[in-house]
Amino acid sequence: MLHAFLLDGEAHELWLGRSREGYCLHAGGRRIPVELLERGGHAHELIIDGDRYHVLIARRGDEVHVHLNGESHLLRYVDNLKRFAGDPMDEGDAVTRAPMPGSIIAVSVEVGQRVRRGDALMVIESMKMETTINAACDGAVQCLHVDVGQLIDKDALLITLDRSASE
Amino acid sequence: MQTNWPFQSVLIANRGEIAARIVRTVQRLGLQAVVVHHAVDADTPAVRLADTAIEITGATPVAAYLDGTQILEAARRAGSGAIHPGYGFLSENPSFARQCRQAGLVFVGPSAEAIELMGDKVRARAFVAQGGFPVAPSAIEDDDPDSFVERAAAVGFPLLIKPAAGGGGKGMRIVREAAALRTELDRARSEGQRYFGDGRLYVERFIENPRHIEVQVFGDEYGTVVHLFERECSVQRRFQKIVEESPSPALSPQVRDDICATAAGIARRAGYCNAGTVEFIYGNGEFYFLEMNTRLQVEHPVTEETLGIDLVEHQLRVAAGEKLAFSQETLRPRGHAFEFRIYAEDPSRGYLPTTGPVLALREPRAAGIRIDSGIAAGQEITAAFDPMLAKLIVSAATRGEAIALARSALDDYALLGCKTNTGFLRRLLSHPAFLAGEIHTGFLDAHPEVAAQPPLSDETLHRLLAAAALATRPVRDAADAVPALHADMGDWRN
Amino acid sequence: MNRIESALNTRSADFLANREHNLALAAALRQQQDAVRHQRPDRDMQRLARQNKLFVRDRLRQLLDPGTPFLELSTLAGNMEYDGEVPGAGVVTGIGIVSGREVMVNASDASVKGGAWYPLSVKKIVRATDIAVENRLPMVHLCDSAGGFLPLQAELFADRHFAGRIFRNQSILSKMGVPQVAIVLGHCTAGGAYVPALSDYSVIVRGNGAIFLGGPPLVKAATGEEVSAEDLGGCDVHTRLSGTADYPAGNEYEAIAIARDVVAQWQRPQKAQVEWQEPEAPYYDPRELYGIVPRDIKVQFDMREVIARMVDASRFHEYQPAYGPTLLCGFAHLWGYKVGILANNGVLFNDSAQKGCHFIALCNQNRTPLIFLQNITGFMVGRDYERRGITKDGAKMIMAVAGSEVPKFTVVCNGSFGAGNYGMSGRAFDPRFLFMWPQSQISVMGAEQAANVLADVKLRQLARDGEKLSPEQLAAIRDPVLEDYRRQSSALYSTSRLWDDGIIDPTDTRNALGIALSAALNQPIAPPSYGVFRI
Repeated sequence: MLHAFLLDGEAHELWLGRSREGYCLHAGGRRIPVELLERGGHAHELIIDGDRYHVLIARRGDEVHVHLNGESHLLRYVDNLKRFAGDPMDEGDAVTRAPMPGSIIAVSVEVGQRVRRGDALMVIESMKMETTINAACDGAVQCLHVDVGQLIDKDALLITLDRSASE
Repeated sequence: MQTNWPFQSVLIANRGEIAARIVRTVQRLGLQAVVVHHAVDADTPAVRLADTAIEITGATPVAAYLDGTQILEAARRAGSGAIHPGYGFLSENPSFARQCRQAGLVFVGPSAEAIELMGDKVRARAFVAQGGFPVAPSAIEDDDPDSFVERAAAVGFPLLIKPAAGGGGKGMRIVREAAALRTELDRARSEGQRYFGDGRLYVERFIENPRHIEVQVFGDEYGTVVHLFERECSVQRRFQKIVEESPSPALSPQVRDDICATAAGIARRAGYCNAGTVEFIYGNGEFYFLEMNTRLQVEHPVTEETLGIDLVEHQLRVAAGEKLAFSQETLRPRGHAFEFRIYAEDPSRGYLPTTGPVLALREPRAAGIRIDSGIAAGQEITAAFDPMLAKLIVSAATRGEAIALARSALDDYALLGCKTNTGFLRRLLSHPAFLAGEIHTGFLDAHPEVAAQPPLSDETLHRLLAAAALATRPVRDAADAVPALHADMGDWRN
Repeated sequence: MNRIESALNTRSADFLANREHNLALAAALRQQQDAVRHQRPDRDMQRLARQNKLFVRDRLRQLLDPGTPFLELSTLAGNMEYDGEVPGAGVVTGIGIVSGREVMVNASDASVKGGAWYPLSVKKIVRATDIAVENRLPMVHLCDSAGGFLPLQAELFADRHFAGRIFRNQSILSKMGVPQVAIVLGHCTAGGAYVPALSDYSVIVRGNGAIFLGGPPLVKAATGEEVSAEDLGGCDVHTRLSGTADYPAGNEYEAIAIARDVVAQWQRPQKAQVEWQEPEAPYYDPRELYGIVPRDIKVQFDMREVIARMVDASRFHEYQPAYGPTLLCGFAHLWGYKVGILANNGVLFNDSAQKGCHFIALCNQNRTPLIFLQNITGFMVGRDYERRGITKDGAKMIMAVAGSEVPKFTVVCNGSFGAGNYGMSGRAFDPRFLFMWPQSQISVMGAEQAANVLADVKLRQLARDGEKLSPEQLAAIRDPVLEDYRRQSSALYSTSRLWDDGIIDPTDTRNALGIALSAALNQPIAPPSYGVFRI
């Protein structure tokens, strides 16, 4: 079973092998000798297939931030247990997440309230623009995950609807 | 020149890169720098550099920096004799300017009256037109609210809806079809009410693909007003500037003189004091007054680099009652300068703001490269504030050399932990139209390939995967766990 | 340690003819193994897909660490039984690396008769668990079996080393502190239910996995109760209610990921200490082995040439080079491990038998694992040799082999006939692993010899009755015997019945032994002790 990293929303599988000659990256059907040397702070030297590159690497949890050739990239390691976890219930329309970071400036529903698809639920302000979050399906407001004034990140949980409560 | 400063301590009522930049000049002049800050900014460079840092609070972090009362109280406690408002926040708030003066503090900026005049976009426009200076066809709601919609439609499409109390490109909307006019007016009104406390609107003819040319002006208490030449700020998104440069590659010497003289004329007519910027739209050899910003502008370093002066220093001197230290004749711009705004955003996703920790930061240092930065490693970039993180300012003898210098600076610039627009800026700096100086305010819409993230080559992908694999413990551990014999044998099968 | 000086002429007609012959055999072996491993009727593969199940080879690919070797055992088990309809006996076993640990894998092949246990399937699984016990190898079971093949239950149920032995071995493994994880990917019915139940850890896939002592049809017949497989013994029943299984999984990939994580928790075993140095590839090209092994089993060849193409740097320290020349004894390194090699260069005489016994004792004294390279027609017979005690000397060698505490590995390179098989550590003497080369033969005596003996008996019978046989009549008696013998002494026959752990290509021997050695060293090496040598 290969490891997987997410990069720009796509999963890339790889394996790192080790022999007497050193590490070897198995990716895209290729075997490439690789080595990573520390050069102080976040600076590293990446040796791949004999070529040398200066890279900056910073890690946080499963995130690996890499600066290479003037560009920064974010790769996220996805543990196989998570990757293959059978999702018993697809979130689907019942759960709404924030499309962008910002702050909640208005909430127009209460827990228990019945809503129809398209009804306005709350308003997010981001970059001095307002975005209205509408219900993606019929249902009742099961849980409000945010309050007015709250700062939120992209993909933050906003609201969960109970679909079984629609007429 | 030896100065007897009437104040020993300056309070900077701002944050981020501008606060740090002002602190540096204040300290260079031998004065004390006091900074107010919300708790989320505790680790920022400005707070670390300041002589005194005072925490302020608010319902939101932005609200804290808008709380004039708290700020005045902080100035009193710190014993500051002057307040520099930076840009944004309270810098164009006439009430605050008045309160400062009433409290016996020097407000480093123009008079409250000048702020009021130019802050009301409708009044400002009328003032400028009356002075015989060029303005674009428009309709002002206040003139006759009942007929506003018709008069607006009569301005012709495309048109631009602007909030009367707005500024800095915020709250503006382009309308291309008559059918959309009413809805857009309603939206703009609600936004104007929300952000500027004023729902009044005016509408202006929108010139397609215009160039945004602005002129730095400076006045002193003694009636002297000079211009410090122009800056071109045409590369924008959502009416916010990304790149500014001086001189503008579009202007002939004749037009340059014209625009700059017009700007100085407007500022003089307004009896303007301290730093300000007059903004124009330019197209087909014509230019129209857009608005005047009665404060120090974000992109002021571009002017500083071409003229070799410190504008903040002169703001403080003029505020201290000195005569303007330069005259129109002594100002000779040299070379070419650019400013690139580094934003926490993802241009390939509609310039969506991004967030994250600053895990690692490398800012290039070299001759001709200046970075005005509001961030430091260890900080958290959140949605609390405007996403501008830093400004990269480059200067060189020619535009071409400045672009080359900018390219190498961006190659070296690294911020890990939060996505920025540096990749986008590098693509911009390779775009033939940009290199040819063929820019206008619709440039990014016309060239979506600049914002679009190009696909990764296989080589780059493998390099990234290699770095990530070797830097990730579970991956490395799995490789190390395989016994040597089996690792050497590889995937042999009998 | 000197490098062996090869005297081989790789351009001789003989070498080239052998080479052609053996390459063809190797190709045939590869083809046959490929077919057994991968070729299945479309309808069986489609059935698996409909059931949302992965093919066993895909399961193994997910289970094993990428870029690591897998030594598959007895691929061709059952190739001469059941009309050839049960490839591999419906089970895949072998030694591989999971999360960095050496494990024995026992995987049902549900594409073959639903993974049902035929008698040879049971034997193959018992053998895998025996290897696990003898070598202290942790086990991973991939369970997906329809249960015992009832029509042949008499050959798989009641006896000591039949199906029950699997469960007995699992219990003993656990008693020894050697962990097992079972991944339930299909049904585990009746006896099969004990595989996960007796594993220290078990994972079960929701929807497909089920564990029950009696399946729905049996339950209905026994008590009239009607219940679905999922309700009777599915994932949630056993992970939430009964505690029979430990980890629920939503799909096969998740189940395998969990199992890999379980294995990653296991303590790494302490290896027995033997002499070791950095490995080195053989100096001579192992592919030359194809030219060394003779086309005709009666032709002799020098085992030194074989050893030279198998051991590190082709270096070999020969023991007693002048004495007992028909048994080659000496030390070498294989994949770094120091080993003692016994190899036949002819019939076993008194001196070679004694030499062998002595050398085995030496290797036990200095804790050197033993490799037996068999090419033996037997001990020397005859009046002189009996008087000199050939039977006694053979007994000494057998006593030493049987009492040996260091791990033994046997490769039948050519012939393995009669008591020579015993002295050279045949199956009965518990070599940890025993492999055969494709052209090798194993029987109580050579086919020609046996045919002659049987024909001779018939001839004498007829002579007593005053009859004589014509050449055609003679051939009519001899030829069927010859044919039968040849078939029953072939490597394919042996491997079909699991008399060995697999036929291997001669050039694969080095790697197979390397993996085997590494696995064997999970078991501590006891100090030597023997029975009484008839001196």
